[in-house]
Amino acid sequence: MGALPLDWGLPELTPVNQAWFTSGALAIQRCSSCSTLQHPPEEICHACGAMDFGVEVLAPRGTVHSFTVVRYPANPALADAVPYTVVLVSLDDAPHLRVVGNIEGDVQIGMPVVPYWEDRTAADGTVIRLPSWRCVRTSNDGRGL
Amino acid sequence: MRGNAVVVGVGESTYYNRGGATESEFQLACIAIRNAVADAGLSIGDVNGFVSYMERNEPVRLSAALGTGDLDFTAQTFGGGGNGAGAAVTIADAAITARYADCVVVFRSLAQGQFHRYGQAGRAHRSRGAGAFTVPYGLSTPAQICAMQTMRYMHDHGVTQDSLAEVVLASYAHAQRNPRAIRYGTSLTREEYHASRWIAEPLHLYDCCPENDGAAAMVLTTPERARDLRKPPVAIVAGAHGVEHRDGVAGFGEDNFPTAHHRHVGRTLWARAGVRPSDMKVAQFYENFTGPVLMAIAEMGFCAPEELNDFVADGNIQWPNGRLPINTSGGNLGEAYIHGFGNLIEAVRQVRGESTCQVDGVELSLSVSGPGYAPGSAVMFGKA
Repeated sequence: MGALPLDWGLPELTPVNQAWFTSGALAIQRCSSCSTLQHPPEEICHACGAMDFGVEVLAPRGTVHSFTVVRYPANPALADAVPYTVVLVSLDDAPHLRVVGNIEGDVQIGMPVVPYWEDRTAADGTVIRLPSWRCVRTSNDGRGL
Repeated sequence: MRGNAVVVGVGESTYYNRGGATESEFQLACIAIRNAVADAGLSIGDVNGFVSYMERNEPVRLSAALGTGDLDFTAQTFGGGGNGAGAAVTIADAAITARYADCVVVFRSLAQGQFHRYGQAGRAHRSRGAGAFTVPYGLSTPAQICAMQTMRYMHDHGVTQDSLAEVVLASYAHAQRNPRAIRYGTSLTREEYHASRWIAEPLHLYDCCPENDGAAAMVLTTPERARDLRKPPVAIVAGAHGVEHRDGVAGFGEDNFPTAHHRHVGRTLWARAGVRPSDMKVAQFYENFTGPVLMAIAEMGFCAPEELNDFVADGNIQWPNGRLPINTSGGNLGEAYIHGFGNLIEAVRQVRGESTCQVDGVELSLSVSGPGYAPGSAVMFGKA
């Protein structure tokens, strides 16, 4: 498995996504009016229409909802990165919320995973903490954290 | 509910592999439109409207170059893909029905060899909006997104890789009878399908739409004007263009993930047309990728997801003996990928009796556009 270039597609920070990309935690957008959690964060609450938000930190646990192993590099800059695996993770504290990330090793739908954060420094010096995922150690599969 | 507009002409340019066109994309558009107008037996000066989707060749330039009449109506749909193909027909139907225009060209021209290639990822140094949550992980192209949907769908419903292959094999088989098809004379075996390289698992190379250069068009008018034209008109029996609430929401956040976003389109279309899936003898399903085609077959109500393997096996979706031949021109995979416009023209040809894989006794002919992207669309054509 390769690794994506360190500067590949780093998110542009906005008031709406800042907590998710800088906190080093599963900091989910939480509506200040009705407490609805939503991800990806939006500019308006899908449940009540309010526009003020805080965040709620969810437990660092998830389950693989789907995945794909990308083998064709869709840009020449990704030629050394393929194959890489993209997972869609359902968060255990709020299973209707799904998060995209990378993972290494064999992946199966339904597999438990935990997040970790990789720091990236954007061209303007901003430090981005990108959540990604790894398999949970179990007693008999020999895969380590 | 029966739409008031009818299709009176269809036409296309020569179809090429990406980079193979000797004409510019704008010239291809003009050629397809002229051919459709000539097929109708109309004069280009009769045209007073244009509708398309994701189109860069604008009506004013086309009108000036072709010599149309004054323009009374122009429109494009929202949405980033071929989901707009059927929608464009419904918009033209609505415009004609509302008497905003009486001779509307619906068209799409797409020369990927002259502009950017679909399926490539830009060299993104910054990702924005919903893309900020996927692009940093190397998830951005339609193939990758549809692979994510298809992987879960196969897991949930036991859909096999061989069933994905059946969609491809049907398109290639049908293309062998269509001289317009880019794959005419190029057959494909099941073994070659399975041996082809992966793009994004579970999608092989052949699961993905090709990159082509070409243009295609159809002419819609009122039933009154259609009476003395060159060929019998084809009715727009019903159209549907929409999506269930929250389907297609950013971040794979649908309650129903994965979905082709066609459940609402299906319910709406059958209700408007007053018929059922079992009444259909032929159908065209836009192939961006094979997985979404299977999802759309189920969501349009042809079978349950768990029945898909049987529905597509044993030649069941192939002409001439299948119970529902699909993509009878070769479709996007075998004829040409002109962003799904060929599927619409083929649906019209099946009503006219002009298909190179003609199904007997076609009274109704369905085209389903752009599964996997929202809002989706579908059009039911029929004998006028």
